[in-house]
Amino acid sequence: MILILLTMVFLLIRVLPGDPVMLHFEKNANPVAVEQMRHQLGLDKPLWQQYFDYLLGIFRGDLGLSMQDYSSVGQQIFSAFPATLELAIYSMIIAASLGIFLGVQASKAYNRPQDHVIRIFGIVTYAIPVFFLGMVLQLTLGIGLHWLPVGQRFNPTIGIPQSPWYVDLNTPFSTALIPSLFKITSVHLSTGLYTFDSLLEGNIFKFVESLRYLCLPSLTLGLVLSGVFIRLTRSNMFETLRLDFVTAARARGLRETRVTYGYALRNAFLPVLTMVGLQFAALLGGAVLTETTFSWPGLGRYIVDRINFRDYTAIQGAVIVFGLFVSIVSLAVDLLYAYLDPRIRL
Amino acid sequence: MKKPVRKRSSFSNQLLKIGSLSKRGLAGWLIIVGAILVIAIIVMTAVSPWIRPYDPIAINVGPILAPPSYQHLFGTNDLGQDVFSRVLSGGGVMLQVSLLSVIVCLAIGVPLGLFASYAGGVPDRVVGLVMDSLYAFPGLVLAIAIASTLGRGVINMALSIAVVYIPSYFRVIRSQVLSIKETSYIEAADAIGARNRTILSRYVLPNIVPSIVVVATVNFADAILTAAGLTFIGLGVPVTVPDWGLDLTSGRRLLTSGAWWVIGYPGLMIILLALGFTLMGEGLSELLNPRLEQ
Amino acid sequence: MKSIRAIGRMVIIGIIIVIIVIAGVVGYYLTLPTGPTVKDTLVMGTTDSVETNLDPAHAYDYFGWEIIRSLGAGLVDYEPGATGPSDIIADLATDWSVSSDGLNWTFTLRQGVKYDDGTEFNATHVKYSFDRNIQMADPNGAFLGLGFADIIRDIIVVDTYTVRFDLSIPFGPFLSLIAGQECVMVDPKYATMHGSSWNATDAVYYTEGDPRASNPMGLGPYTLANWTRVAGKDTTMKLVANPNYWGASAGIPKTKNIIIQFYADSSTLALAIQGGEIDVAFRQLTVTDIKTMQSNTNLQVWQGTGAFIQYLCLQERYAPFNETNIRKAVGAAINRTLIVSTVFQGQAQNLYTMIPIGMSGHKDVFQNLGDPNYTRTQELLAVYGFNATNKFTFTLWYETSGHYPQSLQQATVLKASMEASGVITVNLQSLEWAAMGSARNAGTMEAFIYGWYPDYIDPDDYIQPFLQTSGGTWLNLNYSNLEMDQLIEWARGNTTDSVRNTLYEQIQDLMVTDSPIIPIYQGSAYAVTSLKVKGVYLDITQNWRHWLVYIEQ
Repeated sequence: MILILLTMVFLLIRVLPGDPVMLHFEKNANPVAVEQMRHQLGLDKPLWQQYFDYLLGIFRGDLGLSMQDYSSVGQQIFSAFPATLELAIYSMIIAASLGIFLGVQASKAYNRPQDHVIRIFGIVTYAIPVFFLGMVLQLTLGIGLHWLPVGQRFNPTIGIPQSPWYVDLNTPFSTALIPSLFKITSVHLSTGLYTFDSLLEGNIFKFVESLRYLCLPSLTLGLVLSGVFIRLTRSNMFETLRLDFVTAARARGLRETRVTYGYALRNAFLPVLTMVGLQFAALLGGAVLTETTFSWPGLGRYIVDRINFRDYTAIQGAVIVFGLFVSIVSLAVDLLYAYLDPRIRL
Repeated sequence: MKKPVRKRSSFSNQLLKIGSLSKRGLAGWLIIVGAILVIAIIVMTAVSPWIRPYDPIAINVGPILAPPSYQHLFGTNDLGQDVFSRVLSGGGVMLQVSLLSVIVCLAIGVPLGLFASYAGGVPDRVVGLVMDSLYAFPGLVLAIAIASTLGRGVINMALSIAVVYIPSYFRVIRSQVLSIKETSYIEAADAIGARNRTILSRYVLPNIVPSIVVVATVNFADAILTAAGLTFIGLGVPVTVPDWGLDLTSGRRLLTSGAWWVIGYPGLMIILLALGFTLMGEGLSELLNPRLEQ
Repeated sequence: MKSIRAIGRMVIIGIIIVIIVIAGVVGYYLTLPTGPTVKDTLVMGTTDSVETNLDPAHAYDYFGWEIIRSLGAGLVDYEPGATGPSDIIADLATDWSVSSDGLNWTFTLRQGVKYDDGTEFNATHVKYSFDRNIQMADPNGAFLGLGFADIIRDIIVVDTYTVRFDLSIPFGPFLSLIAGQECVMVDPKYATMHGSSWNATDAVYYTEGDPRASNPMGLGPYTLANWTRVAGKDTTMKLVANPNYWGASAGIPKTKNIIIQFYADSSTLALAIQGGEIDVAFRQLTVTDIKTMQSNTNLQVWQGTGAFIQYLCLQERYAPFNETNIRKAVGAAINRTLIVSTVFQGQAQNLYTMIPIGMSGHKDVFQNLGDPNYTRTQELLAVYGFNATNKFTFTLWYETSGHYPQSLQQATVLKASMEASGVITVNLQSLEWAAMGSARNAGTMEAFIYGWYPDYIDPDDYIQPFLQTSGGTWLNLNYSNLEMDQLIEWARGNTTDSVRNTLYEQIQDLMVTDSPIIPIYQGSAYAVTSLKVKGVYLDITQNWRHWLVYIEQ
């Protein structure tokens, strides 16, 4: 599946007008030098050969060199990915918790005003362009009230969170193991997720700061995605709440909240979980716009920048990572589903 | 032999019910409100050349970045253009793009879905595989890549949106077709020697129309939002056409000076248009696929 | 019974929550970084970034050069507040002279200047630096682009502290060329030469975690202490005073530590300077932001001469712009005042020639063509049969990648201005920067808006790359006038200022006659700083002198 995607993208971007080589030559297009660069970037080989070279490189773990600045695409993606991951996680948390909570409330008040209001809320948040919502939040909470920062990922004047643990990769053993993907000699065992790393570092200030910067972007993305969860939870909970075992639990005198969340929700949860997995693809798409609006240094913004530069290797690499990410999440959701549902046994 | 009487499909039955929409509870209201929004915006865009106070692309018709006032109901932007006139006329591009993309999706996605899933076997698997890959992939990224290839303009934007959305049609159609395929009256039609084409058009198609309609309305809404997104990235239409998405993009630089009206009103219009279609989609979906009964 | 238990449980939960919150707040304040404003640190914010790398042989972008000039020193430099070649002062060369035929430039070098390993700087380093740059002939770099190899024949080490440049042709602006930011001395330890043919990996590139290995300089006022990139985009940079700098005894650099923060767009930069997060904001703030900040009593807005110009290019290879009179008609219909007032709100100047205002040789030649002069436009076009009912139509291209400021707005206003003549219709088309470069090379655009930053501060840099047949091949407008070529040759080759000025006047007059390119405006340079910041010089050199900026106590 990823292969199809990769092939499509490979062909697609090479059709793009605009020659990445000529981009490096602002004024002096010395034909000899142009040919040299073309040769270096491997662009003078026939298309099918470029394709296979690239595939071969992937199997070795090498995503190639960026055509813009000759640094390892793998390394660039590796540093951009955690930003998008962190945004995705927190957005999903907001979307899911808000969606589930509201969905439950709506299902309990079926067809009464509360239900209508929540349903309309869900529909309206879906219809808002994500970047517009982002700009509105920037304008009100950021610029107007000065509560929250409106862009970037972290306060520039203090160092980014890093875990204090350190691994030296210069031993012969490790250099043999690590593929050429990463041209680094030592690595902080940091996840790249600032909230997590700051806790590892034990620095509460950095933790709060990273949360502050995460607030607006994840709120934006989370709100827009919550509508789907509202709708799904509402319909599933409605059906579940009508089932016998719920009535029985109520009859036994359990408190309503315990019945709702403890019993009914657990059963209605599975489709919601699947939805989390499915929404990840939508999330990544929405992340592109959110990252652009908030100058969030993630993979979405990376791909948009590189399209402008016709950086083929970078775009291909990012597409692969996107596809891999979605596949992994789908797989994880499927496994989790199988684990949670006693009716399915692998 | 007597010609078999064509049974009224369940779809036309349901169509008859729409006449009494307002009695259908929330679903009915959703459809009505949604349709009113959409029609109002279409009408507004259509008559805008006659009712707008200024030429939307004329510069310096007012002071630069003036807040809303009596002369300029929605204020002016950084080129001195009247925001109200731009809002009145700015829906054209989005409407065209979404309409075009829906048409393309229907033209390509429906036949593809019908034939592939009815035929089953290899065609079904192959097409399904391609569709699944497309579906799982973040749509906007794909749309960006395609739009960058094709360039700017209404048609190209519509095409890139259509490509991203066809898998959704395919999926819906496929699941419907698969369930219908096994019903007895299809088997019967097959037994009496009806050609596949006839079966598809006479029996299968009318029954999947409700689902297609729902997907189409959501497609409309999504197309509008994606078109806005593409314009935001810079892949929209040429600057000579007033467009709400364009206003949002250009107005982004002005946020820090507090000129909220430059992006506020165009953004509101995009929301209303997308909302209109979404409401219709919600209502139709509930109406045509009733799952919850009192 | 149940209800008492329930209440008890709620109380316990409430207490736990309160404890967590208090712990969080305390932890927050305990881990708050102390002493955020150290006196000898200045924080600067910018939306620029290093486009490729910090190797003078390869880098050809504004910000790259700005940092290169802070980390390295050249033979000569410009005085702060400079207006032209007469303001060139000593840097690593204390004295210089030129032979009477203009072919030999001799420089006497400063003694006692040390690299970081103790090696003393001498003439061999000058030869090495220039040889490396010219030999590498990096296709991205300025040395190939400016034709150094055609100008400099050889570099001779006369003795330890004397070096001589032997030129192949007399070149008037040679000193300006050498004063350029890319002509800094490198440290051979870090800047290697790998054989005679260019290889993309020869230049010194960004190395993660190793700022010393990321740049090949060594004699400038600063050293690079930190350079961080995430996902290929610069996030932060730190410059620390170089203890070996020859000017250290005079108190240069004025600020020991400079932290540069990279912002992704002008909105976040504007917020940062308004919120006091940074001390200096330089490039690029939007026009509206600068206007707002000018009335902000907590900030000071510095305005200086700009050397950035933008102009309209007309393709002469095919109709319609192969006709001189049509070009002049379009040129006469441009309302520069409208553009400057609407798009830039006065933060730019009308430009009536290619040579910027403030540079010697500047002459407002295009003002006579039209400012605007719609009557002339109508008359000139009438000859070809164009009038109010049969309008002259053409396509104007502009870029959409943000490479130039507000291209969209400029194009819109240009179109309005030309259409106000009543006989022209302009169709606007746009391209991303990458695609525009290709289209430029292919010569497929009828008319497009382009811009220019100076490579060296001399009228030659604004004339030769545009109006000379061989120099203008990159722009690909197919303009060729042998008389113009001859004038440019003479102006380049002559070393006497008065002679050159006369020649440039003739060149500019001839330019209006031919009207291949129509200059539009010249941007002003702006920087916004907090009230205590001093030492900001925005002159024609466009150099941001990090080593002169400081915060007053």
